[in-house]
Amino acid sequence: MGNERRLAVRSEAAQLAVLTAFLKEFWSAAALPAEGSLPFELALEEVFMNVVMHGAPAGAARVEVSLHLDGGSLAMSIADDGPPFDPLSLPAPDVTAGLHERRIGGQGVHLVRQMMETVGYRRVGTRNILTLGRQIGR
Amino acid sequence: MKVRLEKVPRATLVIAEGRLDFGAAPAFQKELEQAVAAAHASEAKAVIVDCAALDYVSSAGLRTFLQAARASQRAGVVFALSTLQPAVREVFELSGFSRMIPIHADRTAALAKISATKTPDGQ
Repeated sequence: MGNERRLAVRSEAAQLAVLTAFLKEFWSAAALPAEGSLPFELALEEVFMNVVMHGAPAGAARVEVSLHLDGGSLAMSIADDGPPFDPLSLPAPDVTAGLHERRIGGQGVHLVRQMMETVGYRRVGTRNILTLGRQIGR
Repeated sequence: MKVRLEKVPRATLVIAEGRLDFGAAPAFQKELEQAVAAAHASEAKAVIVDCAALDYVSSAGLRTFLQAARASQRAGVVFALSTLQPAVREVFELSGFSRMIPIHADRTAALAKISATKTPDGQ
């Protein structure tokens, strides 16, 4: 296989399983170590569900995921044609808050930031593009 | 995702297996609520979620644990997790959830901790 793959879906929750299967297929086709996939699965879910729940009306946006393997690093970009929104602008949750004070909002993006080595957002034309990358342990 | 509830002498066990993602979270939350209610109604007021076969958790999954931990505290039930896989453990640590919810190395350690922290009620 080549070292780049793309898939586009509509912005509806049911498509999460399709995207996850796409990532897993890429992972096994490239013979990447299984234990390194969680950060990417998690980033894909968190970013996609953010678009589904907070972006354009359900199903109205088109979300394109691309995976690019370059040496020991994987870059994943997630582009959507919803309204301009930079998820990286969300404030980090207070991870020291107690059980009853803790708020869950922003948790997903916070995890993605910490688990990835590179994160970047840009608005290009009518699309939000989030780019995430990290080394794959071998 | 597969979930099984099991009663043992000192706790209600929730055995979680597979992926706890956005799609699986609502059903898992109901299972946790049932487990907390069962523990509340029993002598052994403790819930242990055995995560040995849980290989993925996202923020939607973390939310279910947070809600169950809060409900447990209100109900006077001990709520703890055991046997987290390394990648899942990392999610709990990075999110700070490992500071809010007790996590034990395995089921035996979790049960031992419950016995040690419970005050004898004279029965």
